[in-house]
Amino acid sequence: MTLSRLILETGMGNDLYGEDYTKAACRAVQDALHHSSLTLFRSLNLDSKKMEVKVTIGIAKPDEVDADKVKNILPHGVISVTVVRGGLNASDEENDTVSIIATAAIEAFYEIDKQDFKKTI
Amino acid sequence: MAFSDYFDEKNIKFHENGKIMSKKRIVFELGQGTSLRHEDYTKAAKRAVENALWKNSLNVAEAFGFDKSDMIIDVILGAQEPGKIESEKIRGVFPYGEVSIEKTFGGLDVPKPDGGGKTIIVTAAIIVSFQMEILI
Repeated sequence: MTLSRLILETGMGNDLYGEDYTKAACRAVQDALHHSSLTLFRSLNLDSKKMEVKVTIGIAKPDEVDADKVKNILPHGVISVTVVRGGLNASDEENDTVSIIATAAIEAFYEIDKQDFKKTI
Repeated sequence: MAFSDYFDEKNIKFHENGKIMSKKRIVFELGQGTSLRHEDYTKAAKRAVENALWKNSLNVAEAFGFDKSDMIIDVILGAQEPGKIESEKIRGVFPYGEVSIEKTFGGLDVPKPDGGGKTIIVTAAIIVSFQMEILI
């Protein structure tokens, strides 16, 4: 049995005026999540509780992200959240505002025994 | 799992020994694309498909020990004038898999404020399946 990666989902989120890094990170995660659905859990009767979910957030100020709030968005699996320096802060000096852009990568892993499945073409 | 749970697909086949095998839905991807200036439904559809595909990276074929070419890809495109989408050009976007394209009424056309033309929005749903059997 090996832990196989099923999917990498990517997303982007921002907080344009509030300078809320957690909000931007949460939006990035929502964006990443809601462009796909892992239908195999239903189709193949797998247990989504056994899925491992690795979330990586890229953002300009990683220390300002409340990782627990990010973690609470994810509906299934054993979740880990890592926040690293990345994303982008686009500042508008003229209007004294900074827009925070966060990027999210969500990887889902599952222990699959290849012998349990056979293609039938 | 109830027997009826298997019957959610069109392509159900039976093995010689009576074991059920069918097309199993593995991943569902969604995307949206636009043609802002040229009223090009094909271009908007292509962008919708690209948006759906390039937001995710799938590793499911390797995870099951299958080939990427085993993927059965069903594309559903929603556009206000679906007949204007050239399916062959959409097919060209996919690097591998057995692709079938269904065009249906949907998406959204937004008229320009000056009355000259419209902006086209196409929505794409992509269903990735394998023809497979569960042995456990």
